[in-house]
Amino acid sequence: MNPYILTILLFAMGLGTTITFASSHWLLAWMGLEINTLAILPLMCQSHHPRAVEATIKYFLTQATAAAMLLFASITNAWITGQWNLEFMSYSLPTTLVTVALALKIGLAPLHAWMPEVLQGLDLTTGLILSTWQKLAPFCLLLQINPSNTSLLLILGLASTLVGGWGGLNQNQLRKILAYSSIAHLGWMILVLQFFPSLTLLTLLMYFVMTFSLFISFKVNNSTTINSLSMSWSKAPIISSMVPFILLSLGGLPPLSGFMPKWLILQELTKQSLAPLATLAALSALLSLYFYLRISYAMTLTMTPNILLNALPWRLPSNQHTLPLAITTSLTICLLPLTPAIITLLTL
Amino acid sequence: MLKILIPSMFMLLTTWTSPFKQLWSTILMYSFLVATLSLTWLAMPTDTGWFYINNYMAYDPLSSPLLVLTCWLLPLMIIASQNHLAAEPENRQRTYISLLISLQIFLILAFSATEMIMFYVMFEATLIPTLIIITRWGNQMERLNAGTYFLFYTLAGSLPLLVALLIYHSSMGSLSYLSLTSLPLTCSNLYADKLWWMACLLAFLVKMPLYGVHLWLPKAHVEAPIAGSMVLAAVLLKLGGYGMMRIMIILDPLTKELSYPFIILALWGVIMTGSICLRQTDLKSLIAYSSVSHMGLVAAGILIQTPWGFTGALILMIAHGLTSSALFCLANTNYERTHSRTIILARGLQMVLPLMATWWFLASLANLALPPLPNLMGEIMIITSLFNWSFYTLILTGLGTLITASYSLYMFLLTQRGPIPHHLILLEPSHTREHLLLALHLLPLLLLIAKPELVWGWTA
Repeated sequence: MNPYILTILLFAMGLGTTITFASSHWLLAWMGLEINTLAILPLMCQSHHPRAVEATIKYFLTQATAAAMLLFASITNAWITGQWNLEFMSYSLPTTLVTVALALKIGLAPLHAWMPEVLQGLDLTTGLILSTWQKLAPFCLLLQINPSNTSLLLILGLASTLVGGWGGLNQNQLRKILAYSSIAHLGWMILVLQFFPSLTLLTLLMYFVMTFSLFISFKVNNSTTINSLSMSWSKAPIISSMVPFILLSLGGLPPLSGFMPKWLILQELTKQSLAPLATLAALSALLSLYFYLRISYAMTLTMTPNILLNALPWRLPSNQHTLPLAITTSLTICLLPLTPAIITLLTL
Repeated sequence: MLKILIPSMFMLLTTWTSPFKQLWSTILMYSFLVATLSLTWLAMPTDTGWFYINNYMAYDPLSSPLLVLTCWLLPLMIIASQNHLAAEPENRQRTYISLLISLQIFLILAFSATEMIMFYVMFEATLIPTLIIITRWGNQMERLNAGTYFLFYTLAGSLPLLVALLIYHSSMGSLSYLSLTSLPLTCSNLYADKLWWMACLLAFLVKMPLYGVHLWLPKAHVEAPIAGSMVLAAVLLKLGGYGMMRIMIILDPLTKELSYPFIILALWGVIMTGSICLRQTDLKSLIAYSSVSHMGLVAAGILIQTPWGFTGALILMIAHGLTSSALFCLANTNYERTHSRTIILARGLQMVLPLMATWWFLASLANLALPPLPNLMGEIMIITSLFNWSFYTLILTGLGTLITASYSLYMFLLTQRGPIPHHLILLEPSHTREHLLLALHLLPLLLLIAKPELVWGWTA
């Protein structure tokens, strides 16, 4: 893509999110979200492949619906209460509508159906932007509204963890697996939103780090299916040996850092006397762990039969910038002992 | 404590920076040094009470035998793995050794944890190196299934444990072992408390394993390479027993009624898995089911919560760890020669490898709990305390002892005695390394006859 256009689009994406961050007026927040959506659309269909265009259209339609619902909810709130401030939504209808609209925006179950199909149509970098950056603005809004209905967020959260687990079980396309993993992690974030919002932010940031390293690892191998990962041990042996740890961290196994958000969320839920919900959510994480484990089997823990020529490719010096991958992989594996520091940092 | 832990952590560094020609000898010597240093943990100036090192790590007469067993096992695993890894590229050998060392580090942290959540995190942390060892270095294609079963059985049991610990923490304020004795949960008859009791114990029962949830064990033990089988049988199962012993303190008085079905299941499992052993064709599978059988007895001994029960359980755990690991090493000597685990393929070995037959004999005798070995001491104490709890358990435990004796003898006679099969035309003579390995397994067992107070636990 023309570098000037790319610059403008990336700038506009950043601008949209920043406007939403900085806004206390609903209209401005909505504008930020719309700018964000419109800016990413050309990035998504830049390859002009029919599948990419289809994904772009699906994304546009769902995000536009969500933004429209958001707008209507904020207008309704303005009618009822007479003010446009983000934090002062006190009536249940607008608040519920806003929550559902934002759930559609980020892809929580049962409003998740667009996510796997959209992610499948994108290349890995744009998919990464979709999974990480695009979640920031809606979460900013979610963190600021007072939830009207306790059980709405809990139902959204639990349904997302279950759907994210079960949906990913039958996939062999990596991008769909990453989409379902995203849905599951978003479910965990929403579960604790009304009790301890800093944990939502912590989970979001941890998810960003983990999924960044996973996306970039897949990009380095240029692989989009599980089968194609099996050749990665000969191309990039060290990355192949680190990916099981990234995957197990996404699955939430101690002593990797992915355990940190799960542990803290379970602690908060048990403090709020929601122990059966906590147990259900914890067990639903096992579903996701199954397909993460399957990917790690295919990539590192087995060696596929292949001809000798493929087994010893030329390992030419690579031009890929792998420093971000190195940083995020180290963070994904080693961050658990720093839990007290991170909680303190995020509750400021 | 730190003088064992920090050298173990630095052993990881040594693994990756040693010159390749000296790798195995260096690591072996280093791990033997650490193991020898760890023997100091067995010296208890007082009978009970904790030995504080810092706020987070301590040891007492319950955990120190298990810690010493963990440290002792690492050099044994190194010796056992040296042969089958010799053909692998250099970096993979280093990776394998790193996995073994990291497993030891997690195990030391688990057994010396002073707080239940630390124990939980380390308990789960041991799953990852074991999973990688089983699925990457196992020899048959069923190893993937074995790894999945292993991981998911353990996790499905331990996630409710995490929630249960967090519930206890939020209501009682602390999960430190020191205060657990003075903070038992008050007696209540709510169904939710019974579920909480179950959640506390399920993880450890799955790990031990209890008979109904034992399916992961034969798969994992059989498919793992020799070091994986050794560490699984010797130490990882004992994590379950140790955890159960620690958490029993807070589970009173619900345990009086709720433990009934599990004691019965454990004892029934002793008989059932013992009977399965008599019909096995796979040698490692036989030893794996024998592990389930012994640990069923341990589980029953812990669940009745008497001093003799706990003591018997601890002694049986240590003795079984050494015995089972020795048996797996013996099975591995067979496997390295014939590349098959089928028992009937390698029979009459006493004619061919008479010195190894000595070790087979000793290990089989230890497995069937011959006096004066500590295996018997543990079994007798558990059986006695079960008899005290209820007379009828004697039927089950007596039958279990009989079946244990018969399958141990069966295994010995089938592999060592009888005619040599005609297809065995080339069997390597026993290596000194293999003799050393088995001697190092069985000597501590024999020495424990002289001073079992080292592994007694608290009282008696």
